Amino acid sequence: MEKEEQKKTIEALLFLSEEPVKADKIAAVLSIASEEVAALVRELQDEFSLARRGLQIFEAAGGYQMGTRPELAPYLEKAFSEDVSSNLSTAALEALAIIAYKQPVTRIEIESIRGVRSEHVLENLLKRKLIRVSGRKEGPGRPLLYNTTPDFLKYFGLMDLAELPPLEIEKQVEKQAEN
Amino acid sequence: MQQTEYKIKLPSFEGPFDLLFHLIKKAEVDIWSISIAEITDQYLSYLQSMRELNLDIASEFLVMAATLLRLKSKLLLPRPVSGENREEDEELFEINTAEELFQRLEEYRIFREMARYLQEREVEQQKIYLRSTGGQKVMVFTRQETVYTIWEGANQLSDIMHRFAEATMTDAYVPAFSAVEDFVVAEKSDYIQSVLLRHRRPLPMKEFINAGGLWEVIITFIALLEMARLRRVVLLQENTFGTIFVTLDPDSLQEEEASGEGRTEKND
Repeated sequence: MEKEEQKKTIEALLFLSEEPVKADKIAAVLSIASEEVAALVRELQDEFSLARRGLQIFEAAGGYQMGTRPELAPYLEKAFSEDVSSNLSTAALEALAIIAYKQPVTRIEIESIRGVRSEHVLENLLKRKLIRVSGRKEGPGRPLLYNTTPDFLKYFGLMDLAELPPLEIEKQVEKQAEN
Repeated sequence: MQQTEYKIKLPSFEGPFDLLFHLIKKAEVDIWSISIAEITDQYLSYLQSMRELNLDIASEFLVMAATLLRLKSKLLLPRPVSGENREEDEELFEINTAEELFQRLEEYRIFREMARYLQEREVEQQKIYLRSTGGQKVMVFTRQETVYTIWEGANQLSDIMHRFAEATMTDAYVPAFSAVEDFVVAEKSDYIQSVLLRHRRPLPMKEFINAGGLWEVIITFIALLEMARLRRVVLLQENTFGTIFVTLDPDSLQEEEASGEGRTEKND
């Protein structure tokens, strides 16, 4: 298949997919090596922005996804406002931040950092499938452990957890040690 | 005297750490150089104003107040650490020194910042709309660029199954198969029809194909497709991957009854 055909196929694949499509899957469809996919996608991305299209291709949750351009949001809102999910509360964001960095983590550990009971918040996050129960911690009471989900990455438009900015906590620990 | 009603809007805090943090920021000091005495006073006066406004104060705020008071008293009256008796409800924080409090506040500050970072990303990401088919399967058009009706679909499938059978049987079975194929399928069709007539209600397709070997399955399947094509039966499926039911076509059922009665009369 020619390169132009390959790009066209990728475009169509991403158009049809509701979920991010992994490079491996694209490679399998096109019968090419996974490493070649990134370059093709990049070309496609450039073409989209050069042609000033209403759609864009971006990386999310370990794959590629097609979505609308952010600057169109005010217009699209008018048409699809009822579909927009409500934003997360500050409490939910705090809990998510802790889980994202400390996973797997127990409820008590989250509460100890936040200084507030967090049962309700965790329930909501579970319901929204942004976190999941990944097991139980060995020890008294065998408390549940929480992890983030691929939906978490999708929700925040993250490629993977490594894309989160590094925590400054280490610096602080050093500062402590010096004192 | 006229009473003036006025509303005070207090900022809402996620918890005691959040409130402490707000107070520290207001005092424009670094976490590590807070005066415990000062912050305790400010904290308590805030709780006091909440009380005056008849606001519910979550227990965590009170536990923190107790923690702060204990830290403050310790600073005023230094005591040996050993003889200390800790109150039970302070376990939520387990803060025994000012150092520990600062550390916890710092830890909270970092995660609060991360929460704010996530919020920014959330806002950005929500500006991007994604394709949503509401869980429906995406329909990919085939070369013919037509959507098959169920009858055409049955036709096509039946054709495919015939060809599949032909292809798989080329070596060993071809002579036997091509000779008896129609007969076998017709037999099977009659059998299916008789079963359906007896039960007079839709039956799961599985009922017909759960017995016998692969060949039996194929024959039954072809028979069902043939019957669907000829509209002798109707195949029903309520949802994707749901059970497929087979039922007699209501029209053909009436005909069948009519002809059946005719036959009985003749026999009489």
